[in-house]
Amino acid sequence: MAFQNRNKFCYFKENGIHEIDYKDVKLLRRFVNDQGKIMPRRITGTSAKMHRKLIKAIKRSRSIALMPYVERGIE
Amino acid sequence: MRYYETIYIVDPNLDNNVLDKIMDEISKELQKTESKIINHRVWGKKRLAYQIENQKYGTYVLMQFEEGDQSKMLEFSTWMKLNNSVIRHMTVLLSDKPELHVEEEKKEEVPAKDSAIEKDESSPQVEKSPEKEKKKKMVEEPEEEK
Repeated sequence: MAFQNRNKFCYFKENGIHEIDYKDVKLLRRFVNDQGKIMPRRITGTSAKMHRKLIKAIKRSRSIALMPYVERGIE
Repeated sequence: MRYYETIYIVDPNLDNNVLDKIMDEISKELQKTESKIINHRVWGKKRLAYQIENQKYGTYVLMQFEEGDQSKMLEFSTWMKLNNSVIRHMTVLLSDKPELHVEEEKKEEVPAKDSAIEKDESSPQVEKSPEKEKKKKMVEEPEEEK
């Protein structure tokens, strides 16, 4: 898992990313759990500013069917 | 000047000629709003995250343009909604001016493959083998302890 480190850090600040593209599904998948829900900031460690942008990007990619609204979890 | 990006999904089973016609129609419709098209290209056939109109796959098309008459943009989006060949569309405001998309030329793969093989040959196998042995030992040891 990517977020098992005790030292939390903002992924975007660390990598110098300022704008999040909704077409970059590979990146957005990191911030969504296996049900397709957006993970909270307290777990991912994303900064507040980038988390707002992240939410916008995920919701955009959902509406154009690049990412799922709901994905089947464990039955 | 503001720059926008429209992304839309088209039926994946269409021929290239039909797809070109649809793209032409859409760009003509957009030019009614006096906006300048910068890029208009097929992004590729992708699997949809959920079914839309009983389609599992879709061809994504990207279109980036400079703003024209803002009041006519609503007409364009309703026209896109009523257009039967477009399954879904979305227009997004871009933060920067988009760069002109140039199709990457396919590099010849033959020389690249040759060089890769040469590298494999040149690298002595002796160096690799002790590492593998170590890894094997590491795996074996804990099993023995159990």
